[in-house]
Amino acid sequence: MRPMFYIHQTACISPQQTFGEVDLTALHQPVDQRLKVIEPGYENIPPVILRRMSKSVRIGMGAALSLLKQFNIPDGIIMATANAGFEDCFQFLKQIVDYDEGILSPGSFVQSTPNALAAQLGMFTHNKSYNITHVHLGLAFENAMTDAGMLIKEHPANTYLLGAVDDISPYNYTLNFLAGWFKNELFVLEDLYDLDSPGSIGGEGAAMFLVNGSPMAAMAQVRAIGSVHSDDLDLVNQQLKHFLAKQLTAGEEIDLLLSGEDGDNRLLKYYASCEKMMGNEVAIMRFKHMFGEFPTSSALALWLACYILQKNPIPRHMVKKNIPGKEYKNILIYNTYKGAQHSFILVNRASAD
Amino acid sequence: MSRIFITGMGLISAIGNTVAQNRKALSEGKCGITRLELFPSKYAGRLPCAEIGISTKALGLELNATEPGITRTTLLALHAFEEAILDGQLSAGQLTAPDTALIGSSTVGGMCLTDELYQDAQKKENGSEYINSYDCSSVTMYIQKRFEMTGIVNTINTACSSSANAIMYGARLIKSGLARRAIVGGADSLAKFTINGFNALHILSPFICSPFDEDRKGLNLGEGAAFLILEKEEDIVNKKVYASLTGYCNSNDAFHPSSLSAEGDGPYLSMKGALETAQLLPGSIGFINAHGTGTENNDLVESRAMLHLFNTPPPFASTKSNVGHTLGAAGAIEAIYGILNLYHQEIYPGLNCLKPIIETGLMPVESYKKISLQHVMSNSFGFGGNCTSLIFSRS
Repeated sequence: MRPMFYIHQTACISPQQTFGEVDLTALHQPVDQRLKVIEPGYENIPPVILRRMSKSVRIGMGAALSLLKQFNIPDGIIMATANAGFEDCFQFLKQIVDYDEGILSPGSFVQSTPNALAAQLGMFTHNKSYNITHVHLGLAFENAMTDAGMLIKEHPANTYLLGAVDDISPYNYTLNFLAGWFKNELFVLEDLYDLDSPGSIGGEGAAMFLVNGSPMAAMAQVRAIGSVHSDDLDLVNQQLKHFLAKQLTAGEEIDLLLSGEDGDNRLLKYYASCEKMMGNEVAIMRFKHMFGEFPTSSALALWLACYILQKNPIPRHMVKKNIPGKEYKNILIYNTYKGAQHSFILVNRASAD
Repeated sequence: MSRIFITGMGLISAIGNTVAQNRKALSEGKCGITRLELFPSKYAGRLPCAEIGISTKALGLELNATEPGITRTTLLALHAFEEAILDGQLSAGQLTAPDTALIGSSTVGGMCLTDELYQDAQKKENGSEYINSYDCSSVTMYIQKRFEMTGIVNTINTACSSSANAIMYGARLIKSGLARRAIVGGADSLAKFTINGFNALHILSPFICSPFDEDRKGLNLGEGAAFLILEKEEDIVNKKVYASLTGYCNSNDAFHPSSLSAEGDGPYLSMKGALETAQLLPGSIGFINAHGTGTENNDLVESRAMLHLFNTPPPFASTKSNVGHTLGAAGAIEAIYGILNLYHQEIYPGLNCLKPIIETGLMPVESYKKISLQHVMSNSFGFGGNCTSLIFSRS
């Protein structure tokens, strides 16, 4: 089956050492119970522009521009986000209240729109082509990938910048905390999966990919994506089974499950059930203890999948079940956001067939 | 490649709660812009806004949607969605089929509850019933859940061109085989947040807006929702078809976060690209539903881009003089207005333009006319330079 697209370059800014010199051995611990990104120096962005950027735009630009250094102008910019701009949104709300709807400064209003990153990228790189922002919460990045796949089918010679960003401002942290999605207790990341309590840990990050339809020298290929909107475990199982039956050729197997397990005991049933379906010969690795929980975390999982397919060393803290001596060629990413949105992403080593 | 037809439409705006009411109001040159009354604000009773005259509570009761946490934006979306599926005679089986996509869009989403959000975001405990409803996707996900839809579901936010992109995305899903039919559209409601935001940018008119007038003073905000049903030509048997979606293009102005470049590269490229997708020459466009917000910047730049592309532009007008600027909903609302132009072979007057912009001399359509139309273009331009143009053709 024809893959959706090939990934040629990746960049990731996350709470771990994923940008520049990648080193995942040591786990960077959370601050104030949230996993915050390690921000780079942003040498590509003039300080005067950098100062005006919100964190989501900053980390998104930082990751994206590192790819565009080598590849000048992509044929389109496809971004995914759920909370980009929320920090500015709240700053503007605060102005409305503090100044009683008086004379307000429009800067944070303009930056509060989730399309600010894609727009800034377009502006900064003088890119007048396709430019879009998908904001469908826990499936925003999956929709962006679908968009990229369609664009490459429509324009086979084109290369696109595909990416996702979410940041954790005090305000969206509070909203999710109040809704019961983050743990109350103090803990170290190594214990995240063993606490048996509701909620996860809040995180953030940006992952960017240069994608096109050419297998030549590609890092990985995204074969297929499936998505489900439901909290019904049986339905999710059925959809996953259907997805695998449809996408895997006869005799082909998944080698590695990248599981979005996030320490929330209410969501464990989905991950446990997916693991069970994989069988005994499939290795299982987890990533939410590295990046935290946020709507577009599957973009960081895709970055990890590319990293693993490049035969990079896998840190021990990621491993839930190891299959010694196994070479990873076929990776399934399974993730759920709040148990209501689920996605299956099939990623494998690029082949020229 | 089979053509994509529009087989159902639903719309609610300040000039009517249904597509038929909107058509009647447009034909009569009715303006829905009055004084803001909807919620307490310093601007209540002062600022011209295009409000829908039904309270949020009444909307909820009418739609039998009274769950905790439901917002006005969601209710407006639901109103238009229900009309569209009824009009398009979609069966329950079609609605829940895995090859039926739902593509929504919004810029305000649940943030219409500006004060509630401000409070919730700072609380230590006891969040309000709206705690999960503030983001844009909550609108689409409510509809997905209510109608038990199982196909691809997405929400797009490209500011004021959001729902034009939702239409384009739905059409592309069908063309690529990822969906057989798509229900596409958008919704936005008036909010203290956007009123203060646009006011801070000094682009809100203290008067009723006058798109393309030399002395225009800015835009008026509005609220509304619209959904369209897109289906493949070969799937349609014994069914009303309004028009086909033949052209679309998304391009970026790459100039400034909140204003368009002097020459309007983004608008020019999106209009030109839509013609290329439709394989049409500029001369075949019979009418343009312009973005025409009534701001100094937009109307001049859009006029320049139209002159650049068309040399002599076809008749055009902006329905923002009827329903205000409905932000994320505008692309879908105006797409339906363009489809009504085609289906009924008529054009509606743009209101309040007394003196054309001196530099361009372009005057929007001044009165209702019966006219022969084959192709209509609809423009939507948003913050961040996000420009999208659509072309609808007679089926």
